[in-house]
Amino acid sequence: MSASIVATDLTYAYGDQIAVDGISVAVDPGEVLGFLGPNGAGKSTTIKMLTGQLSPRSGTIEVLGMPMPAQRTAIQQRIGVCFEEKNLYLTMTGLENLRFFAGLFGLRDVDSRALLERVDLADRAKDRVSQYSKGMRQRLMMARALVNSPDVLFLDEPTDGLDPVSARSIREVIRQEARRGAAILLTTHDMMEADTLSDRVAFINEGQILALDTPERLKLAHGSRSVRIRTRGPADEVAERVIALDGADSDDAVGEAMRAGDVLTIHTEEATLEDVFVHFAGRGLQS
Amino acid sequence: MTPGVVSTIVRKDLTEFRADRFFLVITALSVVFYPLVYWLLPSTVDETLRVGVVQNGLDPVLDALQESDGIELVVLDDEDELTDALLGSELDLVAGLVFPDDLLAAAAADEPVQVTLLVTADVPPDIESALEALASEVVLQVLGEPPPTQLLSEPVVLGDDQVGEQVSLREQLRPLMAFFVLMTETFALATLVAGEIQSRTVTAVLVTPATRADFLAAKGVVGTSVAFAEATLIMLLIGGFATGAPILLVTLLLGAALVTGVGMVAGAYGKDFMTVLFTSMLFLVPLMIPAFGALFPGTAAPWVRALPSYGFVQTVVEVSTQNAGWTEVAGYLALLLGWTIAAFATGWLILGRRMARL
Repeated sequence: MSASIVATDLTYAYGDQIAVDGISVAVDPGEVLGFLGPNGAGKSTTIKMLTGQLSPRSGTIEVLGMPMPAQRTAIQQRIGVCFEEKNLYLTMTGLENLRFFAGLFGLRDVDSRALLERVDLADRAKDRVSQYSKGMRQRLMMARALVNSPDVLFLDEPTDGLDPVSARSIREVIRQEARRGAAILLTTHDMMEADTLSDRVAFINEGQILALDTPERLKLAHGSRSVRIRTRGPADEVAERVIALDGADSDDAVGEAMRAGDVLTIHTEEATLEDVFVHFAGRGLQS
Repeated sequence: MTPGVVSTIVRKDLTEFRADRFFLVITALSVVFYPLVYWLLPSTVDETLRVGVVQNGLDPVLDALQESDGIELVVLDDEDELTDALLGSELDLVAGLVFPDDLLAAAAADEPVQVTLLVTADVPPDIESALEALASEVVLQVLGEPPPTQLLSEPVVLGDDQVGEQVSLREQLRPLMAFFVLMTETFALATLVAGEIQSRTVTAVLVTPATRADFLAAKGVVGTSVAFAEATLIMLLIGGFATGAPILLVTLLLGAALVTGVGMVAGAYGKDFMTVLFTSMLFLVPLMIPAFGALFPGTAAPWVRALPSYGFVQTVVEVSTQNAGWTEVAGYLALLLGWTIAAFATGWLILGRRMARL
């Protein structure tokens, strides 16, 4: 099975400022690749190059087996993009927005109402988008990205700042699209979202990919695991021990801690993707 | 460029126009207000000079003069009353003549006769000369003798003699109105374009199979067709197609494309309605100068002919007021066509570059 997106050694600079510095990445059909990095790391610039909005200074891009930008229009016919900014036509209704974009793809038989139902907006189909909440606009953006049943989806912070209900709705659509076979490139600040949605994640910082693997392997390879045990001793005193599970004698240490008194609580602690990112980048996503 | 994509964007733009209540109201007001102003303006030119006269015993002479075309004499009692009438506006006098009470006696005694000519500050010198001639005529008729030297000669009019066919203010205003309407729709297009740039909806369009050329072509079609449709409607409502309708339609179409180019430029740089307004005015105020020049013939400096809208205004003026044909206005139309291509290409390039930098 050939990859839907293949980017090789991409570079881009805004003037003298290098935004993307030799990024290589591939995304298979049905795979969700999480693109994680702080603001200004080069995520959006990479998406702009992959979607044909920018031409790379060097490197090559193939989407669905076609070179970008040489076959830009043919590629754009089969991709969907959900932008971070809510670039919708506010004076038009949700239905009109979808029908317009379907028209740009030359599609006249798209069931726009069904798309709105998928993102729980069917009952607001004929309301102007200016009357939508932020969450509703984001869901409409997601529906718009699906209007041509794309083989490749680029999702730029699709749940950023959304209420839990809207975010859950969008995550469910992303899972459905992956099951359908779409290759999905997902950029996000939300480590939990990346962890639960992504088959693989790429950490990007200062225009370079620092690590690329499944969330589980990254956490196991680069994070620390521990057990936090609280016990009550004979004099009714409460003690807490945190035992790292990476050491050779960790089993003995856990047994010893549990025998030290009545066990009150036991918490296992896993490394998060945030921890792994800090391990690689030397700073957090928000810093 | 894909026609299907262009027409999809055009339909979307028209939907946005319909949904924008502000421009809907502005457009509706233009359709009502401009024709209303037009039809309220006088349709004829009053060429009669109303002259106040203070005299004693000259009634027969004045009655004879009264019968001649172009002069209406209003007899007043004394110089003070005449002065008041000239400074006021009720009698609409342009000047006054005060003949001395002893005119006949002085004439009989072969003494100099002094006739006082009163004019307000805004009376042109040529009217003053005409009134001096009128005073001489009265004196000569009173004396009953022709002057020793006949100075009168047949006037020679240079160019088209417009005597009796002067263009009314209403007709002079026609090109200005047509241009105002085109301007209104320029703001609409510029605001639409600026909205697409600022909200980045254009970016969403450009990651679909729609190309930059599709987008620009759609904006050109929308801007030109909306401006042309409204200008045509206004011209219909003010009876502007009574003569030379085909020429005027072509002129309006070229004018609409010209201001669409301006709208693209203003939209590319506009950030909100106010910046769009100011950017548009930067271009449109100079473009309005030829239209104002048509209101006041002879006042426009020669450099006005270099302005892009000069060909538009001159064509509308000459076709609608002088019934000019294709041959007479071919030069103006060629000028307009050249400027239209230049403006449209500039708008296309500047907006295209702005989109590329998003």
